[in-house]
Amino acid sequence: MIRRHQPALATGCLLYLMLASGCVTSTVQQVRESATGMTETESVVVLSRKTRPSQEETEADFVRCISKSMGGGKQRVNVVAEQEFRDALFPWFEPRTAPVNASDLPELISQPELAERLASLGLRYLIWVDGDTDRTDSSGSLTCSVTATGAGCFGFLTWEMDSGYEAQVWDVRSGNLAGRVSSEAVGTSYMPAVIVPLPFIAPVRSSACSSLAQQLKSFVLNEG
Amino acid sequence: MVKTQMSGAVSSMLNCRACSLVLVLAALGGCGGASVSVPALFPVPLVDRIPLPMGLHLDESLTGYVHAEELEEQGEWEIDLGSAQTQMFQNLLSGMFDSVYPVANPAEPGGEVAGVLVPNISEVQFSTPLQTRSDYFEVWVRYRFQLYGRDGELLGEWPLTAYGKADEDNYGLQSREPALQAAAVAACRDAMAFFTVQFRTVPEVRQWLLTEAGEPSR
Repeated sequence: MIRRHQPALATGCLLYLMLASGCVTSTVQQVRESATGMTETESVVVLSRKTRPSQEETEADFVRCISKSMGGGKQRVNVVAEQEFRDALFPWFEPRTAPVNASDLPELISQPELAERLASLGLRYLIWVDGDTDRTDSSGSLTCSVTATGAGCFGFLTWEMDSGYEAQVWDVRSGNLAGRVSSEAVGTSYMPAVIVPLPFIAPVRSSACSSLAQQLKSFVLNEG
Repeated sequence: MVKTQMSGAVSSMLNCRACSLVLVLAALGGCGGASVSVPALFPVPLVDRIPLPMGLHLDESLTGYVHAEELEEQGEWEIDLGSAQTQMFQNLLSGMFDSVYPVANPAEPGGEVAGVLVPNISEVQFSTPLQTRSDYFEVWVRYRFQLYGRDGELLGEWPLTAYGKADEDNYGLQSREPALQAAAVAACRDAMAFFTVQFRTVPEVRQWLLTEAGEPSR
């Protein structure tokens, strides 16, 4: 009996997965301050700002997503993991001690121990990511009931998410700001419910991640 | 019949973590709090080493330090900081000095070391997201350091307040313990970073460095 319904069930699931994402609009902007480029032995690190006592920190999984996206796909870039970098350069990239501006970099890397460690990592670019994803609007209502004969929901919910991230690219070799790449993404998600709620989620943060990572990759490779 | 209505409250519908927490709390009979221990995994500071042999005295009041606190309607909370302190100060000083030796009594260090550092925790505070209406666990650790000379004389003492925070959103559904632990780890790393950059600027330390290593203040 179950086997007979399997194709219909699979088709239904597939159709739902294809349709089950809301719309996302994303834009990417780039400002180049100087020429870039990387060799195969050079690497980048993507870091989040952990300024204290700010309550607005970039999500850890967003930074991991950027690192992973830059380190994969076509024309992959060597990416040093954030924690590995912070440990290797400890204590110079901790919240209390991390350089705030690219202009602080030359003094920092003038320390022979640091310069040597950066060279051993092959680090060419430091990428500082700032920003987050917030819910900006929501409306609708949804009612769920549980009775002795069964349970169900009825209603409609909609909400909007807004992502705003900026990445500053610091050139370790020259000690200058190489440029900025920013990504904005807005998406509306829906959840209609007739007995069963069906969420149509807009992948706002993942869209922001993939567009920012792609642009950063082409920026450091000097393709954009 | 149980009936729930959500009007415009998308957050309550979507915040799956909150829902899960309610379910978990209900399952556990409403108990709260957390008990965490700081793992003894710390980096070694990358700095210009001071060319001196340094003594380190760690008192039991430091290595056994556990902060326990009961919060109103949030249960009992416990942060074991002490078990990580030996590794933390061993790594810290081995990055800052040529060599580090354990010293049993700072007043009688023996002739091997140029000085003895005695760290202690004088106070710990923490806050939960519920208290601050934010997404962050925060931990403050107030240390007190004493520096003894090679003859066992107390040369100076100074405080250091370290701070760490962790966003509970980064730790999934059961975020309470890992986020509190991450905030405590961040506070310990901050203590190490702060100590590294502050040490040479403490007046008594500058004088001691000038005497022992002929090092001018920086």
